[in-house]
Amino acid sequence: MPLIATQSLTKRFGSAVTALDGLTLAVEPGIIGLVGANGAGKSTLIKILLGLLEPTEGSATVLDLDVRRDGSRIRSLVGYMPEHDCLPPDLSATEFVTHMARMSGLPRAAARERTADVLRHVGLYEERYRPISGYSTGMKQRVKLAQALVHDPRLLLLDEPTNGLDPAGRDEMLELVRRTGHEFGIATVVASHLLGEIERVCTFLLAVDAGRLLRAAPLASFTERTGTLIVEVEEGSDRLAGRLADAGAAAEVDGRTVLVDLPDERPYDLVRDVVAELGLALIRIEQRRGRLEDLFRDDAPTESTDAA
Amino acid sequence: MPPETTTSEIYDIGYRGYDGPRLGRAYATWSLFTSSLRAAFGLGRPTRAKIAPWGLGAVAIVPAAVSLAISASVGPDFSPFSYDDFLWQMQAIFGLFVAAQAPELVGGDQRHRVLALYFSHALERVDYAIAKLGAMVAALLIVMGAPMLLLWVGRILGSPDLAGALGDELGALPQVIGAPLLHALGVGAVALAIAAFTPRRAYATGVIIALFIVGQGVAEAVARGTRGPLRDYGPLINPFVWLDGTRDWLLGRSVPDSPVASSGLALSTYGLITAIVVSLAIGLVVWRYRRITA
Repeated sequence: MPLIATQSLTKRFGSAVTALDGLTLAVEPGIIGLVGANGAGKSTLIKILLGLLEPTEGSATVLDLDVRRDGSRIRSLVGYMPEHDCLPPDLSATEFVTHMARMSGLPRAAARERTADVLRHVGLYEERYRPISGYSTGMKQRVKLAQALVHDPRLLLLDEPTNGLDPAGRDEMLELVRRTGHEFGIATVVASHLLGEIERVCTFLLAVDAGRLLRAAPLASFTERTGTLIVEVEEGSDRLAGRLADAGAAAEVDGRTVLVDLPDERPYDLVRDVVAELGLALIRIEQRRGRLEDLFRDDAPTESTDAA
Repeated sequence: MPPETTTSEIYDIGYRGYDGPRLGRAYATWSLFTSSLRAAFGLGRPTRAKIAPWGLGAVAIVPAAVSLAISASVGPDFSPFSYDDFLWQMQAIFGLFVAAQAPELVGGDQRHRVLALYFSHALERVDYAIAKLGAMVAALLIVMGAPMLLLWVGRILGSPDLAGALGDELGALPQVIGAPLLHALGVGAVALAIAAFTPRRAYATGVIIALFIVGQGVAEAVARGTRGPLRDYGPLINPFVWLDGTRDWLLGRSVPDSPVASSGLALSTYGLITAIVVSLAIGLVVWRYRRITA
């Protein structure tokens, strides 16, 4: 059973804006990165999956439930962390998260107990009894995650969870997301426009652009080693490339680096010998990896996008 | 103290799932109703959220208490308020109460975008609308009904002949319970229909005050200063006029100050107007929450 499946899913706002354009995909449980630029349709897709928005055309299922027919059932099994602020300033984190647990149907005592549990998990302690208006952005993001987790959902939909956080806050939030997905075993969809973040926590990647699916594949296949060796030297990259070419290797100069085709292990020895012979200052020698950024370049190099 | 003797230690017990009951929509709606009713009186909120509801609630109940004190010392015939005209006389207080608390109930969830969370839970949009309407009406019922009940209980206890007074006052019970119920429904639905349409608290409060407080003045001026259809229909701008007419129609006994007394309209017309306006207001609130982008 796929976790999420969509078939020709289209959402238009009025006649001018097409947020999703015939999106078809199917993903299995795991930590799924939903990546795309702002306006690519990430939030629209999440809202359709929750039944907050009606699709214009096409269909979608979440946990095998139809988003048009079973919206209420889906929502009881899913936790949602919106991109925007969504917390009432007057209430404390404890009161608010307990309230949201009851909105998911948890009896009062269970709601209190779960609230204490999840607030501890997201790292909110004494401050949880104070009104939310006094919280930092990082604390507010934690409360948002806690309310999405409090009813023990089978699927978490996190829309830009690191929004507005400083680097340390980002690291902590990503670690929380990673733990939630791996240790707690809750299937998670993380929407982000930051590839670097997605890369750190996800096992599967959905790349969307202008409402269309660009690529869906396990993360590893995006960043596999490619058949190219990068050799960076302080100076003399021209001489290095020339000597490598003379020795029969396909080498290409790119500024201070030389890109060497790597059909087998032999170029390693060759590069070592040539660098030593020319007396060059070697800075780095490594096998090039596919880069996620290449996904969104029009002239995406074939070696990274086709590596599967 | 050496570390070996430390008796307490924090254990990370890990994440625990939840296998208990999930009580569904009806329970979620009821929970939202009760928490909103608490919010209407500022309970569980900072002190400044309590000032308006408790202040106005006190202003509503003090006259009833004073009225009791007067009739207890001077005699039962000198009561400044009767059950029939109490709500009419105090209408400005109730107008201010909804002007302050209707935006409190629904404005914040729009302003702070909490609606996105509500609508992504088991609760449906219509459930949210019903819970908030219910909480507004229930809050008004408390503020309107408590002084009426105080008057009623006071009259019985203040009488030398307890059993006789109980018999006399039993007949007033429909008025004591029915009138606040009717007024709470009408005033609450209209006020919430206004407040639900804006996240801005000041706008909602302004429009509600214009309707109830300015409307009261306009209604009385029109009733006194004009004739014919304008005199009959003009005062209907004030919700308390059609509610008072309906109360008169259902429970009897008119209020001499009210424009209803000088109007040429049949009492049943007020009943019809109340039914239409209240249905319209409830429909508007439900429609609003069906359409609103969360």
